[in-house]
Amino acid sequence: MSAKRIRFISILLALAVLLTIPFGDSPYVMTVWLLIYVYAALASMWNLLAGYSGMISLGQQVFIGLGGYTLAVLSVNYGLPIFLSVLLGGMLSVIFAVLISLPIFRMKGVYFAIGTWIIAEALGICFSNWGYVRYGMGMFIQPAYKLSMSSVYYAAMIICIGSIALVYVLLRSKLGLALMAIRDDDIASETMGVNIFRCKFTCFLVSAFVTGIAAGILYLNAIFIQPFEAFGIGWSVKLLFIVIIGGIGTVEGPIVGAVIFVLLQQYLSEYVGYNLIILGIITIMVLFFAPKGIIGTIQNRFRVGLLSVRRQ
Amino acid sequence: MLRFLEPIINGFLLGGLYAVIGIGLSMIFGIIRQVNLAHGELMILASYFSLLTLQLLGLHPLLTFLFVLPAMFIFGYLIQALLFNRVMGKGMEPFLMISFGLSIILQNALLLIFTPDARSLQNILVIQSLNVYNLFHVPLIYIVNFAVSILVIGLLHQFMKRTYLGWAISASAEDLSAAKLMGINPKRVYALAMGIAAVTAAISGVLVGMTFTFYPHSGTQYLIIAFGVVIIGGLGSLPGTFFGGLILGISQLAGGHIIGPGFQLLSGYIILLVVLTIRPQGILGRG
Repeated sequence: MSAKRIRFISILLALAVLLTIPFGDSPYVMTVWLLIYVYAALASMWNLLAGYSGMISLGQQVFIGLGGYTLAVLSVNYGLPIFLSVLLGGMLSVIFAVLISLPIFRMKGVYFAIGTWIIAEALGICFSNWGYVRYGMGMFIQPAYKLSMSSVYYAAMIICIGSIALVYVLLRSKLGLALMAIRDDDIASETMGVNIFRCKFTCFLVSAFVTGIAAGILYLNAIFIQPFEAFGIGWSVKLLFIVIIGGIGTVEGPIVGAVIFVLLQQYLSEYVGYNLIILGIITIMVLFFAPKGIIGTIQNRFRVGLLSVRRQ
Repeated sequence: MLRFLEPIINGFLLGGLYAVIGIGLSMIFGIIRQVNLAHGELMILASYFSLLTLQLLGLHPLLTFLFVLPAMFIFGYLIQALLFNRVMGKGMEPFLMISFGLSIILQNALLLIFTPDARSLQNILVIQSLNVYNLFHVPLIYIVNFAVSILVIGLLHQFMKRTYLGWAISASAEDLSAAKLMGINPKRVYALAMGIAAVTAAISGVLVGMTFTFYPHSGTQYLIIAFGVVIIGGLGSLPGTFFGGLILGISQLAGGHIIGPGFQLLSGYIILLVVLTIRPQGILGRG
């Protein structure tokens, strides 16, 4: 059997196993997997920006908050169907991304990171002073109780597989080639006719859309949304941990990172307070001893990759 | 009468404190070309350290500088020597992420040790205020903050201009390979610079602790203020930092006065975003 075939079959097998998890009637196992899916999707989108497009964003929580609040407002105040609200959350994130792209794309490197973070903080303040979304008290997303656990599970699974497939396809496309050229030498690639702004802009919008939807699914599970939590820097911290541990600039990295992160979070939840300290120490250790993360190190050593975008 | 002057005067004085908050961040950027995301946590660490010495020895908060500053210098030196020096010259990302990791570790360690309760470095200055010809009131602590910040910025300026270490720091910032040829050990210089930055953070941390209440999570808020100051003034520029502090202080208090107290932080952020958009290198920064 060729390597390609083995790869195909192993992915298929893994999917088949994951599809049957809701039949195992353990809500706990289902929740853990659901969190893994959502975090993998969110982290893939952060990775698309930081790992492939050179935009270290500390403001992904902008779209997490917008996605969550769109879901809350549309489904609670207007009674819209839940999954439509989730989808519209993604749309609103894209619209907001277009609006902020004008100032944000004038900033580079550190300034980009800080700029995105400050936009998130500013939104947090706006939402906590806004009566329409019940100020800082937050909103209960009651309609989500009507959904069965397994439908949320499958939605999370779809967004996870969809986002990874999307990243894979994007990187295999002309855009992926252009991004690699920009990463290696931005001036040379621009001379060869690569439109840097358009490439980065596309990635930014894609990332906003998927992040908004994934956040909606996350809040279907969390039920409660509150401005300083939704727009808090904590989200970027988590995504950074996940991608660094898994391997920045690899497609599989965010998946592996998400599995480790969620399991670690579950395991360490008994030791309240220590879990973030331990995660911080792990991140620094990974940066020192395996700066390419788990997947990057494995790929370098054994030259294999399950979802490598490298052309054979 | 003249009530509108109060937020402007107080914002001006608060701006001096903001300048000290930002100065360490700006210095490290000027010298190492890196952004230390753990800057806010260094401040709050110093606030808690001051609280501890204050409770143990019963000193005035300003006197705790005697213990806090040397300790923070050593702490700053060590984090640069043990952590950051290992990723020097590897681009921007590793440094950003390690400092981020450090900030999370410090924040949560403080949370474990000191619980999430609000603390403050109690002193008599907070409740006293200066009545200027019955026109407006200025809290005494703001005047102390402003005086201390002028002193810190002046001393730092003189230090960089007049001492051998200051020259070595500027030399490494300007031309690293030439500095190496002149016998300067850049890693040691970086560690000392981080130590000095930590001292400025500690000064601002104690002043903040005397003026406002603080929590283990306050570091993030002050990191954003430090960014604001430094970005408005221009990363790496000493006079710019002072200027940036004043602009941010005034815009926050004036904005809070006009729109409402809930929007005090927001008006500062908006000014910041506008500056970032129009002049990303800062008002006094060089391209």
